[in-house]
Amino acid sequence: MNEQKELALKQENLSERNRQIPTVAPVVDILENDDEILLFADMPGVSREDITVNIENGRLALSGVRKMSTAGAASWEEFGEVEYRRVFSVPQTINIGKVGAELKEGVLRLRLPKAEAAKPRQIEIKAS
Amino acid sequence: MWTRMSDFDRMFQAMDLLQSRLSGIFEDYGRFRPTVSTWGITEASPRTNLYDVGDRLEVKIEVPGISKNDLNIKIQGNYLEISGSRKSDTPQGYKAHRIERGESTFTRSFTLPSDVEASRVEAALKDGILTLRLPKIEQAKPIQIAIG
Repeated sequence: MNEQKELALKQENLSERNRQIPTVAPVVDILENDDEILLFADMPGVSREDITVNIENGRLALSGVRKMSTAGAASWEEFGEVEYRRVFSVPQTINIGKVGAELKEGVLRLRLPKAEAAKPRQIEIKAS
Repeated sequence: MWTRMSDFDRMFQAMDLLQSRLSGIFEDYGRFRPTVSTWGITEASPRTNLYDVGDRLEVKIEVPGISKNDLNIKIQGNYLEISGSRKSDTPQGYKAHRIERGESTFTRSFTLPSDVEASRVEAALKDGILTLRLPKIEQAKPIQIAIG
């Protein structure tokens, strides 16, 4: 039993060295049309400055830390400080320079416009 | 019988630990479950916290994506009821790859540990968290006793 505990502790140190708060995946909606991809994520309690969005090599990594200032004795506590983290695969054709992000009412809304070259194009057939 | 509940609790803790490990390995694991503890009772209603801060109570509720017009708070004595509805924010003309958030309505009611002054309750909504400050009635406030 003791050995197991030690092993568990070791593993904890390896993978989660700097993390004291639990990590959860936020629930998301992902929508797409010809021009852009939209990603909405629920992150209640996370303020703007605690959110990071990284896009590189076709990976979009989303992270938001919820900090809570609480006073008094908790009679019950169903949620607490948490890190919302989730990684998505995005097409390489996203125009990274034009990605928009908005945080409102605890919902993060990302707008990922597609590069011009990736948009579907109607090909006109010319009469010869 | 209830004294044995801690055993169950410990078991769930172990399962949660295992789950968090698995989440680290597989990105997909537990993806559709927004709650921190996926083994516990699943809730359709939002999660809440209740704090006792001496002369007032403080309630926090997770309500992402719900505007203040769609929230209703009712208080009577020591009974508190919060209801709300979440409207879909999915724009038209998009193909959905993944819909996990969706529309929902909820009602949650509590019996508070003491009566509160309903007229002096403050409610604030910030970043998807509703915070209620409920001042206790005079009789319920703690009194400092001086040692004679």
